[in-house]
Amino acid sequence: MSSEYIISLLKPMLEGAQTTILLFIIAIVLSIPLGFLLTLAVNSKVKVLSYLSHGYIYVMRGTPLLLQLLFICFGLPMIPGVGEYLVLDRFVAATLGFVLNYAAYFAEIFRGGLLSIDKGQYEASKVLGMTKWQSLTRIIIPQMIRIALPAVANESITLVKDTALLYAVAVPELLHFAQTAVNRDFTIMPFFIAAIIYLVMTLVLSLFFKYLERKFKFE
Amino acid sequence: MPIISVSNLKKSYGELDVLKGISLDINKNDVVAIIGPSGSGKSTLLRSLIHLEEIDGGSIQINDEYLVEQGSYAKPQEIRQITSKMGMVFQHFDLFPHLTVSGNLEIAPKLAKKEPMDKIKARSEELLEKVGLTNWKNAYPANLSGGQKQRVAIARALMMEPEILLFDEPTSALDPELTGEVLEVMKNLAKEKMTMVVVTHEMGFALEVATKAIFMDNGEVVESGNAKALFEYPQFDRTKAFLKRSLK
Ligand SMILES: Nc1ncnc2c1ncn2[C@@H]1O[C@H](COP(=O)(O)OP(=O)(O)OP(=O)(O)O)[C@@H](O)[C@H]1O
Ligand SMILES: [Mg+2]
Repeated sequence: MSSEYIISLLKPMLEGAQTTILLFIIAIVLSIPLGFLLTLAVNSKVKVLSYLSHGYIYVMRGTPLLLQLLFICFGLPMIPGVGEYLVLDRFVAATLGFVLNYAAYFAEIFRGGLLSIDKGQYEASKVLGMTKWQSLTRIIIPQMIRIALPAVANESITLVKDTALLYAVAVPELLHFAQTAVNRDFTIMPFFIAAIIYLVMTLVLSLFFKYLERKFKFE
Repeated sequence: MPIISVSNLKKSYGELDVLKGISLDINKNDVVAIIGPSGSGKSTLLRSLIHLEEIDGGSIQINDEYLVEQGSYAKPQEIRQITSKMGMVFQHFDLFPHLTVSGNLEIAPKLAKKEPMDKIKARSEELLEKVGLTNWKNAYPANLSGGQKQRVAIARALMMEPEILLFDEPTSALDPELTGEVLEVMKNLAKEKMTMVVVTHEMGFALEVATKAIFMDNGEVVESGNAKALFEYPQFDRTKAFLKRSLK
C-alpha cells in the first residue's frame, strides 16, 4: 500500500472531517446556551414553562437522535400544507437536529449541576445584598459550570462520534468518504484512517477539557 | 430606641408553629446571645430578621423602619435597603468556593454597592488583617481550615459595613480547638461596640461577652434580660433545666 494512495485518500477524508468539525462547533456553541436556557425554564416558577421544557427534554432524550434527524430532513417536508416551506438544506437541517437534541442533554447536565449547589450559596449572596441576577451570574453559574464540566466533556466527545449520523441523511462527511473509498478500492485502510482522525479529534477535545478542569479547580 | 424591635412575630411551617408570638427589643451595641434547645426556633427567628424566612404575622422593625408591619412586608426595594443594615454569618460559613479569600470579600461591595475598587481593596486588606488572614488572601476556601473559613465569612460580612451582625451557631461546625480563634474575633467586635445577635451553644462565650441573653423554648421567648443575671439566677424551671444541661 503506497503512501501516495494514503495521501490520495486523506484529501477527501480531511475535507469530510471539516464538515464534521463544523457541525461539532455549531452544535456545541448553540446547544450549550440553549441547554442552559432550558434548565432555567425547567426551574422556572411559571408552571407552564416548566412542564413544557420538561416534556421537551423527555422527548428529545427518549427518542433516537437518528429518528429526529430523519424527521427533520425527510419528515418535515411531508407535512401537508406547510411541508413545502420546511425543506431545509440537508446540513442545516441536520445541524438543527443536533442542536435541539444536544440542548436537552446539556439541560439535564446543568440541572444536575444546579441541584448540587448548596442553598447556603443563595442565602449568603442574598444577605450580602446581591440581586437574584447577580447571584445567578456571579455565584451560581460559575460553580455550576465547574460541577458540570466532566459531564459536558463526556457529552462533547459523544457529539464528535454522533456527527457520523450525518451519513444517514446523506450529508458527505468523514465517514461517508471512508465508506466510499472502501467500496471503490476494496481495502479497509480508509476505515483505519477515519478511526485515527476521530481519535485525534476526541483526544484534542479531552485535553482541552482536562485543561479547563484544572483551570477551574479553585484550589 | 431599640435598633431591632420584634413584636408578636409568628411563623409556622404548615401545621407546625415554629415561632408563637415572639417579642423582643435589641439596643444598639448590645451583644445578644440567643440560647435554647434544638428545634426551639432560634435559627428561624434570626433568619426572619434578615428576610431569609417570611413570617406569617407580627412586626419587625430595624432602625425604626418596618421590615414587616403586622404581617405585611415592605416593598422589595425597601426590604433590600432595610436588610442591608445587617450582615449574617452562618454555621457552615457558605463561602463562595470559586473565589479566593479576597474575592469573597470584594464581590458584594463591588456588585451590590458599586463602590470604587481601590476603596474596596483598602477595606478588604484592613479586614483581613483584623481577622488575621492577610497571608491567605489569594487562597481558595477549599484550602482553609474551618476556623479560617469562619473568620473569612465574618470579614466578608463586615465588608458591607453592617450596623448589626447576626450569627447562627458560628462555631458549631468547628473542631473544638478551632472555636477559640473565631470567638476571639467576635470578642474584638464586641469591644468595638458592634451590635451582635448570636445564636450559640457556647455558654462560656455567652457568659463572657453577651450583654443580654434570650432563652427560647418551643417557639417562645421564655426568659430574657441581662446575660449574667439570666445565667446565674434563671427565673423559670425550663431555663434552669436547660442551663443545667448545657453548663455541665
Ligand atoms: N424549612 C422548614 N420546613 C419545615 N420545618 C422547618 C423548616 N425549618 C425549620 N423547621 C422546623 O422548625 C423548628 C425550629 O427550627 P429552627 O431551625 O429554628 O430551630 P433551632 O432552635 O435553630 O434548632 P437548632 O438548635 O437545632 O439549630 C424545628 O422543629 C424545625 O424542624
Ligand atoms: Mg438552628
